[in-house]
Amino acid sequence: MSLRVRLSLILGSAFVIIWALAAAWMLRDLRQQMMFSLDQRLVASARMVAGLIDQLPQPLTAKGQEAHFSADQLSVPDGMACQVSSLRGEILASNHKHDGSMDDQRSGFQDQTIDGASWRTFTYTRGDVRITTADRHMEREALNRSILLAASAPVLMALLGSLGLLWVGLGKGLEPLKRMCDALRRRRADSVEPMQVAGMPSELQPLLETQNQLFLRIAQTLERERRLTDDAAHELRSPLTAIKTHLQVARMTDGNVREQALEHAEQGADRLHRTLEQLLMLARVEGSLSFDDGVRCSAEQVALQAIQDAGGGDNRRIALRLPTEAAKVYLGMPAPLAVAALRNLLDNALRHTAGDDPVELEVHMTQGQVGFLVRDHGPGIPEEDLQHLTERFWRSRQSGGCGLGLAIVQAIVQRCAGNLRFESSSDGLRVWLQVPSRASVQQP
Amino acid sequence: MHVLLCEDDDLIASGISAGLTAQGLTVDRVASASAARALLQAAQFDVMVLDLGLPDEDGLKLLRRLRQQGETLPVLILTARDAITDRVDGLQAGADDYLLKPFDLRELAARLHTLLRRAAGRVVNVIEHGPLRYDPSSCEASLGGQPVDLSRREQALLQALLNNPGRVLTSEQLKDCVYGFNDEVESNALNVHIHHLRRKLGNSIVETVRGLGYRLGPAQAPQETAS
Repeated sequence: MSLRVRLSLILGSAFVIIWALAAAWMLRDLRQQMMFSLDQRLVASARMVAGLIDQLPQPLTAKGQEAHFSADQLSVPDGMACQVSSLRGEILASNHKHDGSMDDQRSGFQDQTIDGASWRTFTYTRGDVRITTADRHMEREALNRSILLAASAPVLMALLGSLGLLWVGLGKGLEPLKRMCDALRRRRADSVEPMQVAGMPSELQPLLETQNQLFLRIAQTLERERRLTDDAAHELRSPLTAIKTHLQVARMTDGNVREQALEHAEQGADRLHRTLEQLLMLARVEGSLSFDDGVRCSAEQVALQAIQDAGGGDNRRIALRLPTEAAKVYLGMPAPLAVAALRNLLDNALRHTAGDDPVELEVHMTQGQVGFLVRDHGPGIPEEDLQHLTERFWRSRQSGGCGLGLAIVQAIVQRCAGNLRFESSSDGLRVWLQVPSRASVQQP
Repeated sequence: MHVLLCEDDDLIASGISAGLTAQGLTVDRVASASAARALLQAAQFDVMVLDLGLPDEDGLKLLRRLRQQGETLPVLILTARDAITDRVDGLQAGADDYLLKPFDLRELAARLHTLLRRAAGRVVNVIEHGPLRYDPSSCEASLGGQPVDLSRREQALLQALLNNPGRVLTSEQLKDCVYGFNDEVESNALNVHIHHLRRKLGNSIVETVRGLGYRLGPAQAPQETAS
């Protein structure tokens, strides 16, 4: 059910009920006033007849004759009956022709039935006559009804008018909602453009703004995902292209060229292998796979293992500075992750340090934390690039990597509540990797 | 055909270069947009193979700027990015064709031949010139139905002439078509190739325009040359 119909029904019902109650109250009052006025008319007529009788030259006598007075002579209003009788009960005069006579024994108002019709009577005693005036109830009701009808017609019109206005007004009032609804309906399902709806009321404005911010965030997320997929495609296709191309060259040629092509194809395969391994590692670290093999690993073991793995075996350039207590401090994270993170940092440092310049690895122990400092003597990284370092597939121009190494380190750090910090200067890049340590266990 | 290959990935570039050379094309390799620009000013190329992810400048930007400068060289874009917007952007930036990595070397060569053919205003691949027929994609030449054996340099020379019928080509232009930028060229090497071509396809196939250069002349059937 639309908001408009719903509001119209609720408000309309309330309107109808209130108007009906008000009308009922008004009509009841009107009826009472009406009846009171008619009664007053009976009284006034009776008094007037009494006045007329007083002025008669001779008193009224009953001689079994027809009534002396006609209704016209008594000058009572149309439809009203009048009867004048002596105190003994003889009817002296009547303007009403009927078989039964009105009971006038009691003074005041009475309701009585005469000849099957119900009457409202008023009896007034004055001197030696009783004057009774009467109205038919039917006539009183008819009069009452016509007045009620006349009064209720405007009420009904007003009610209908206000219901109509209510419907139109609600439509107008809900116009902004309808516009927003139309704008939403016109959108393509995959559209993430911000919505433009003019003339929004202040209550809907925040909704529209929130909606548009949401659209913006979705668009950014989609764009990031698209770029990531795109980058992944690029990183996977490039070595594949190299392999395929060189294999084709090998098929077309022979001798030296062929040997070289095959060698190149192999290099391409190695590169593809590395990229795939890194991608898988990243997926595992970011996923919920468990790396915990239950083996406790000291900071020293991690450092030595990482050095051994780094640089594809070319690890003579790595200078390790290890405090003696490093053998007794255990890391509060799975060993494979710690080794992978440190190895990636060392790989990067080796890649960016020219020639035989050393790469330094220092291990620091603080309360509850183990810090690894990897320092290279390369050209460093421009300040504006520091923020991109841990983005997936981002790589500096000189780098030969696939752009995943630091993204993996970042993912590991996030997973294990560690910390990763870069400091770049003209004489190289310092990378701080801090990971939580387990409460140190004293070896016997 | 002289190809300018603009690709920063060393492994891929060496593969393409070796593959195209094996198919009879002359390839010059650059790894950056600036190098590409420099080489384009220094030498004549028939077609350019452009990778979009260059280290110093986006390939599309390079292409756009080249087109703004009035460079009409046919350009084939190579990229590993396959979003439709990438392709549309590439074509709108002025590329003539688009190939997605990984690709087949034969397809790349065929597409380059097609680009060149279209640039020369031909609709079929085989060039017919009098009794001479030459197929640039298979590098097969025949004269009056008889196959003629041509060396790689001779093929390149013949193709350059056939692609520019009626135009006078300077010896520098011809050298650019025949040799790569880094090839060692002896001073009279071009004359040697022209001499061989005349011997195989008739004396008048290469006309010398004194002081200017060379021009494609009529091919003669072998029996006429024999008589």
